[in-house]
Amino acid sequence: MSQRKQFCTFYLDARLFGVEVLKIQEVLRYQEITEVPLAPAVIRGLLNLRGSIVATLDLRRRFGMPPLEDGTLPTNVVAQTSSGLISLLADRIGDVVEVDEESFEASPETLEGESRELIEGVYKLPSGLLLVLNVERALDLEAAPHA
Amino acid sequence: MVPKTILTVDDAPTMRKLIAFTLSGAGHKVLEAPDGKAALSLLKTTRVDMIVTDVNMPNMDGIELTRNLRALPQYARTPVLIVTTESQANAKAAGKQAGATGWIVKPFDGQQLLAIVKRVLGE
Amino acid sequence: MQQQLIRDLVMESAEALDQFERDLLALETNQQDSDLLNRIFRIIHSLKGTSGCLALHKLEKLAHAGENVLSLLREGRLDPSKELVSTLLRFSDGLRKTLAEVGETGAEGTIEHAALIGELVAIEQGSTRMPPAAAGSAGLFSDEDPLFQQATPGPTSETAAAPEPGTVADSAIRVDVGQLDRIMDLVGELVLARNQIVRFAGNTQDAELIKPTQRLNLITSKLQENIMKTRMQPIGNVWAKFPRLVRDLSLELGKQVALSMEGAETELDRTILEAIKDPLTHLVRNAIDHGLETPEARRAVGKPLEGQVKLRALHEGGQVIIQVSDDGAGIDREKVLRKAVQRNLVAADEASRLSDREVFGLLFQPGFSTADQVTNLSGRGVGMDVVKRNIERVGGAVDVQSDPGRSTRIRIKIPLTLAIVPALIVRCAGNRYAIPQASLVELVRIGEDQVGTLIEYVEQCPVYRLRGNLLPLVHLRAQLRLEGSDSSGAVFLLVLQAEGRQFGLVVDEILDTEEIVVKPLGRELKGLAVYAGATIMGDGRVALILDVMGIARRVGLLNEHSASLRDAFLQDAKSSVASGRQSLLIVGVGGGKQAAIPLASVARLEEFACSHVERAGTSDVVQYRGEIMPLVDVVQALGGAAPESDSARRVVVYALDGRNFGLVVEHIVDILECEVKLHRTANQPGILGSAVVQKRVTDFLDVAALVAQSGVASFEKAEVEQL
Repeated sequence: MSQRKQFCTFYLDARLFGVEVLKIQEVLRYQEITEVPLAPAVIRGLLNLRGSIVATLDLRRRFGMPPLEDGTLPTNVVAQTSSGLISLLADRIGDVVEVDEESFEASPETLEGESRELIEGVYKLPSGLLLVLNVERALDLEAAPHA
Repeated sequence: MVPKTILTVDDAPTMRKLIAFTLSGAGHKVLEAPDGKAALSLLKTTRVDMIVTDVNMPNMDGIELTRNLRALPQYARTPVLIVTTESQANAKAAGKQAGATGWIVKPFDGQQLLAIVKRVLGE
Repeated sequence: MQQQLIRDLVMESAEALDQFERDLLALETNQQDSDLLNRIFRIIHSLKGTSGCLALHKLEKLAHAGENVLSLLREGRLDPSKELVSTLLRFSDGLRKTLAEVGETGAEGTIEHAALIGELVAIEQGSTRMPPAAAGSAGLFSDEDPLFQQATPGPTSETAAAPEPGTVADSAIRVDVGQLDRIMDLVGELVLARNQIVRFAGNTQDAELIKPTQRLNLITSKLQENIMKTRMQPIGNVWAKFPRLVRDLSLELGKQVALSMEGAETELDRTILEAIKDPLTHLVRNAIDHGLETPEARRAVGKPLEGQVKLRALHEGGQVIIQVSDDGAGIDREKVLRKAVQRNLVAADEASRLSDREVFGLLFQPGFSTADQVTNLSGRGVGMDVVKRNIERVGGAVDVQSDPGRSTRIRIKIPLTLAIVPALIVRCAGNRYAIPQASLVELVRIGEDQVGTLIEYVEQCPVYRLRGNLLPLVHLRAQLRLEGSDSSGAVFLLVLQAEGRQFGLVVDEILDTEEIVVKPLGRELKGLAVYAGATIMGDGRVALILDVMGIARRVGLLNEHSASLRDAFLQDAKSSVASGRQSLLIVGVGGGKQAAIPLASVARLEEFACSHVERAGTSDVVQYRGEIMPLVDVVQALGGAAPESDSARRVVVYALDGRNFGLVVEHIVDILECEVKLHRTANQPGILGSAVVQKRVTDFLDVAALVAQSGVASFEKAEVEQL
């Protein structure tokens, strides 16, 4: 019997990414971010989440993608990690998607370098591919592109 | 030898008689009680110079009696002799722990009893 | 319900086993204490019973085996020898292990403790094989034990025993730690809200508002204070584990150790205690492992066989001081240096120039170990560098002192700052930053027009004269690599202090002092040494908290070596080095020209109001530091115009032949060091030659000639003598 999981999804450009619903605390629209000088470039800054200070991770930058044009403000996807909360900056939010374990496949070999590490695998949805983001790895900043 | 008042505590009347006979023969005054509880009760009203007590008794055994005696100011230093049997090796240790002064293993004869009583009384 | 009971058992047993261990250790020295013997028996007896009822049978079985041995111990049939106590301590460990398993998973796990049980059973049976007493045999207990005294044990009834852990605590209750943290957070929020209200009330004249606001203020402060207190715990809680640790270690290493603990009641915040627990353990281990010598070695140098390890804690000036000292072999400076050179931590030629403090500081460098063989005890990857880092993470500092051959003392200082601290809020490059008041010494405002003069440069390092001392400056904007130059307006200097060293932090604007709730930065930003955390300001936005020590270290202020170099340089500006480089003061001498003066003889840079310039004969003089100093107008000497009568005079105080002369220039340009290759120009008096400095043609002044030329020299001498 196949298991079903639920994913919270979001877009970077046209690509659809997802993180298991269980790991997501909440989704917020853009919040004011205080920049942190000297921080790695992928960390946009800090925001105030009802009294907790949460760092924001610029996913576009993490994937080496160019920044958002036309001044669109990103959305915050707040995820729980082994070391606390982190807010992932995404272009826009998608739906909560339920997937069938059977449709899962490991990352294709054609995926290069850093991206390969950041993606746990892919679900083949009728509407397209859902890339599963490896949040812990995304936070592993040793490997992140520097300013 | 200075005559003393000695309390013998044992649930077997025969044993009590035997000890009383031996000790009074040596000039001591002997009182009797059938168990620890009765002994304590007696000691509230009567003063004694020494207690000889069996270990296994109902209501309150000899070890507990010894402990309770030691808690009473007037009996904290009174010589206590416990009577054990061959197989009761741990009773001796328990008695020591409870604060007894000496021990004797029954069955014993009169001479052996007198000898140890003498020593316990510090003579 | 069952689960709750099990949880309670786990918690209570942990405490009970702590008591059990304490009693066991006490029993080693105080063998006949029947209270102790009864208590340890009862603890295990009770644990056995309860585990049985809760169907924790593995626990029950182990406890039962131990109980039998304890029963014999209680009866006096076993002596609490070192071996027995060691076994019982291991028994306690075994119980703890299974209890931990139960605590985590709710089940007992797979460990059967078969070997341990076997050992305990063997001990129990070994002693029951006593020969039956012969009939008629009798004796006094004092025969066996000359020191035996008739103990006066209390009455038997179990309930009237020595106070159980818990009866003393009738005035205390258990509170879940998470709950306390939640309360702490709420109080933090309350403080912020209060700050906002106080601010608004400050803008109002409304008496009706002011009064309750004041009350709110007072109550909040008190609430904060009291909540903080609930988080305080005595350091003795951490030290409690040490007697056992010391015992085990000393047995394992064959060393004799006496542990003394002073100040166990000293209180610290819970999180700080948590953070220093491991470092302290490591230091104690170190003291025994590496500090103390073996008994033979100690005897050989005339020390008592037993080594001393002393723990001391006290409150002092807003800090907690914790000391770990031992009377062992001390730290061998040469040995440390050799290792450091070997590990490339220090250059061989620098080694001898390091102070003792710096040498000992090397011990805290990662990858350092002076043990000839890294024992498996201390060398477990918990190096001294980790100790230092953990202590610094809670804002503390650690240093080492040693008397070679005699003693070693490690001192930890931790500020009592808890999560809410008063801070100064400043602005730099448009963002706000908070600086803990504790590090702030004073504020200096430098007016727009004074920025150029009051901030001076030595070797390209900006400095400021603070009451006669040169204060190194750090531009926050530059440190944070933010864009824009420092505002052309006034700047503010925060005189900050880190480990006894002062420096000035230059910021754009000073906003406010506020009490802020310190929140730690997440792991992704933790490595940034300049930040101590972040806070949420009254308007809900996040501001970063600067780490004063981190900044000081970053600019090399805390590196003794470079600091002393700098100090030496500043005091004695004789910078002519064999390499032929010269230190020069570059000045503007009017008409867009610039000139260079050898820095070696420059005493100070001053500015005098024109009102201070007096006339003496044909010369201008100023009263300077108790003497009359003649002024030599370099600008005019080089053909420039005289200064306007009411403008301030910028003066380079120059020492010549033991006397000070004031060289009047137009302005100070820079101080730098460079190779000088002079071109001899046409014979112009007062100029040695010229060279290109910073892309500009610069005249090198012959100061002696200029002074002679001005005619002040001879005149002055006479004047002085007259006086």
